[in-house]
Amino acid sequence: MSKKIRVSYLLNAVGVALVFVVLSILFSAGVFGTSTTYIQGICTTACYTIIMVASLNLVVGFMGEFSLGHAGFVSVGAYASAIVSGLLTGKGLPDLGLFLVALLAGGLAAGLMGVLVGIPALRLRGDYLAIVTMAFAEIIRVCFCNFSITGGGKTMSGILKLSTFPRAFWVMVVCVSIMFLFVRSKFGRTIRAIREDYIAASASGINVTFYKVMTFAVSAFFAGIGGSIYAHYMTAMIPTNFNFAYSAELLSEVIIGGTGSLTGSVIGAAFLSVLPEAMRDFATYRMLAYSVVLVLVMLFRPGGIFGHWEFSLTRLLGKLFKRDTVKEGA
Amino acid sequence: MTASLFVQGLINGLNQGAIYALIALGYTMVYGIIRMINFAHGDFIMIGAYTLFYTIPLMVNAGMPAWMAVIIAIVVCALVGVLVEILAYKPVRKAGSMSALITALAMSIFLENLAMVLFGAKPHNVQAIFSLPTVRIGTVSLPLNVLLTIAIGLLIMLAMQFFVKKTNLGKAMRAVPQDKDASTLVGINVDKIITLTFAIGSGLAAVAALMYCSTYPRVTNDMGSMMGMKAFIAAVLGGIGVIPGAMLGGILVGLIEIFVKLFAPGWYEAVTYGTLIVILLVKPSGILGKNVGEKV
Amino acid sequence: MKKVRKVVSLFLTAVLLTSMMAGCSSSAQTAAAGTPATDSAAPAAASGAEDKVIRVGVICAMTGGSAIYGEGAQNAVDMAVEEINSSDSEYKIEIVNGGKIADDAKDAKQAMNAYNKVMADGPEALVGSFFSSVTLPMAEQAAKDGMLLLATGATNSAVTLKGDTIFRNCFIDPYQGKMAALFVKGKGLTKVAVIYAKDDDYSNGLKDAFIENCESNGIEVAYVGECMTTDTDFSSQTAQAVASGAEFLYYPCFLDTVPLFVGAARNAGFTGIIMGGDGWDGSDTTGLADKFEGCYFTNHYSSEDTAPAVVNFVEKFTAKYGTESLNACAALYYDAMYMLVEAAKNGGGTDTASLVAGMKGMSFTGVGGDITLDENGDAIKSIVFNTYVDGEVKWSETLDADGNLVSSAS
Repeated sequence: MSKKIRVSYLLNAVGVALVFVVLSILFSAGVFGTSTTYIQGICTTACYTIIMVASLNLVVGFMGEFSLGHAGFVSVGAYASAIVSGLLTGKGLPDLGLFLVALLAGGLAAGLMGVLVGIPALRLRGDYLAIVTMAFAEIIRVCFCNFSITGGGKTMSGILKLSTFPRAFWVMVVCVSIMFLFVRSKFGRTIRAIREDYIAASASGINVTFYKVMTFAVSAFFAGIGGSIYAHYMTAMIPTNFNFAYSAELLSEVIIGGTGSLTGSVIGAAFLSVLPEAMRDFATYRMLAYSVVLVLVMLFRPGGIFGHWEFSLTRLLGKLFKRDTVKEGA
Repeated sequence: MTASLFVQGLINGLNQGAIYALIALGYTMVYGIIRMINFAHGDFIMIGAYTLFYTIPLMVNAGMPAWMAVIIAIVVCALVGVLVEILAYKPVRKAGSMSALITALAMSIFLENLAMVLFGAKPHNVQAIFSLPTVRIGTVSLPLNVLLTIAIGLLIMLAMQFFVKKTNLGKAMRAVPQDKDASTLVGINVDKIITLTFAIGSGLAAVAALMYCSTYPRVTNDMGSMMGMKAFIAAVLGGIGVIPGAMLGGILVGLIEIFVKLFAPGWYEAVTYGTLIVILLVKPSGILGKNVGEKV
Repeated sequence: MKKVRKVVSLFLTAVLLTSMMAGCSSSAQTAAAGTPATDSAAPAAASGAEDKVIRVGVICAMTGGSAIYGEGAQNAVDMAVEEINSSDSEYKIEIVNGGKIADDAKDAKQAMNAYNKVMADGPEALVGSFFSSVTLPMAEQAAKDGMLLLATGATNSAVTLKGDTIFRNCFIDPYQGKMAALFVKGKGLTKVAVIYAKDDDYSNGLKDAFIENCESNGIEVAYVGECMTTDTDFSSQTAQAVASGAEFLYYPCFLDTVPLFVGAARNAGFTGIIMGGDGWDGSDTTGLADKFEGCYFTNHYSSEDTAPAVVNFVEKFTAKYGTESLNACAALYYDAMYMLVEAAKNGGGTDTASLVAGMKGMSFTGVGGDITLDENGDAIKSIVFNTYVDGEVKWSETLDADGNLVSSAS
């Protein structure tokens, strides 16, 4: 590992830790007064939304395919984790351990579902794939409406409230880091090669279907983790929460943040989790404004606000201290 | 299941299917020309329904026949469709299908929430334009509405087939999706053709709204999303872009839903979507989708 | 150089943070501006006891498909607060969040944010929400926070079991279902059919209780059909209900699909009684007057009732806001405001603890009739049966909590 990369990793780690420390200090010092819980709630919401959106970006941005059914995977993760944590309650596991086990269960269940859906669905491309993913998500929703273990259409309540802000934050950091490494890996480069030219990639000996299904599964896995945090934050959920509108919302957040930019997803998801809250006072108009923002972004920045561009702390610092980077480079 | 229940299911399925088919015709029309899933199409129907809701009493009060309201609805829908096309879809057309899809989703959200702000959140009943009797044969009841809806659907289908196949404008419409540049070269104004397509597609939505409201006499601001989704499935099932396919797909989806509801009502949506998946995997272009040249 | 870099990275994260928190902090500021009197994290107990003003946070669905309920709730709350504050009542009410109902959009995610949002204003009691699916997460949190939550429409029996500070002024699901079954028995019918929305708590709860009570009363349930809350077509289920030979059809769903359902059932040739729960209140009957003949629904009040509370509510509401949003939800939110005032009187203070103490076992008379809160915090109250004549809602009869006839129109 070269010195530069090491510095870059260190910098990012320090940056992330600092964000957390500052947020924690702000919360515990009561800077926001009585709004602390409210803001902490929004931040927790933002954390799991970031995971969901970033994971969807793996499919949309890096594989270049639509998925209109991400909420389906989220719900699989949410319900699986809720069932697992329900079964393990009182078995002597500490809260944190239970939380992590539930997360893993949710992620694995969703990942498995990703494979099951991906194998048939990924034979299709473009609009048709989008429709099929939507259809699968709807089928998943109907199943949850009919299975008694998931409440049989009723609200499944009494899930332990295990998702606290620090936990959600660190899970988010770990998930996004892994996704970051994933797209930077050889695997990720292969996926991008498939996106750029399907036939050329296939001709150069890449097993296109395998790579696509794997990406789909990884994406579903993280969506499931996002769903698990959701379940253990809400403590109650009903299958209708995970309808087409939720999938569409996640997809639009990916697009606004920038397809193919994970930092774009992070900032896009954080921004769009905060936006409806900031516009609470105009309750009737907020969805109206939301859709207008969406259209405006499409009009003026079709690739999303960030496009393919990744935000980099190292680069930013480098720019600020040009001389410094030159020295390092030399 | 008794025979009468079966016949009744058939009639109910045709009734629902005919309405899906009418909506699917509009979907297919637009997709055929610009290869874009117009998620807002269902909401055009909502606009048509609200127009009917407000204009029918006006017409009746003014002493004019109630069906005149349909003409107003068609004009309003066509106008909204063209406006949406010009303001939102046209600027993003070059940016790729992903942007187009998102824009369509955004327009759908926009129209639904605009309707809520303008018309309020309360569901309203739409006054009937015509009241056809329901014929009862034994235990089976046959609303004559069904026949009318199917007749209108077939009529529109034939008219559109004729328009697309025989007229110059229709030929231009078919040329545009095949090669935009070549179309421009032979003197077709591509933008104008697309705008025209939207006008026709949205006008069809108003007709669909009429038949929808005569069977399900209720308007809400979110009525379009659900209906639109089903009709869209119908269009894909029959072969999106193929005009008779929309008709076939609509009736099929209607029949499937009604018959599944007879056995396992809780699962009917899953079966509909499952059918869609199977069809797409076996034959991605839909049931009637093999004749690529026929695509509108 | 390293020192500089550290400083800069600190600075940058701060910038990143502020940009992320921009939305939050602005709302935090408005929240703070709205509550000049409160300066610490737990101001409720300190300031509430002396000022005789109950600070109430209200939550309901203001946007989305169920916005009509929120509209009614906002109107009703405005009306109740104005009445209370202009009267000579000892205790006054102040609605936090600038007098506005916080929107949960019938979505759990937004519900938690709405809950936290109104909690930020340091309320002494919360009222809401109308749907069980969004109230359950709130109730869980409210129990943890020790906050009084008066649920208005959340009929799922689990809601009040979440904690001691959770109450409700609506029926619980089992109650309405049981009353409907008793109604069937009273009419001497023996064969019934149920069609319910599978993906909704309210509908499921009423259906379960109805079937259970029918069976225990020797009434045959000939057909149970499912639908979805977003469905528009009921021809298949109603045709089967007709084929099953049922004389009575129970449809415990919300007002948006009721006209469609009644129309479909009548078209399918069903001539018997169709009945629903309080979700039917406010249904549009325009153009369907003949089809609504012989339909009944259970409710908290009847607009024809001559009880002063009901007359006052219906008249004032209609005069001010029309009948558009006059529904069960509006009545429940209206009553909730008066119940809080009553609780303050009983408990002798406006802090949360006194209000909770005042709520326990409270007896109250309002638009929704005589309400007694039981040990769980559930409302025990009389139930009104309404029917339709020429498309207008007409009062039919009132039963008390044990199913005895209190009064009847005929």
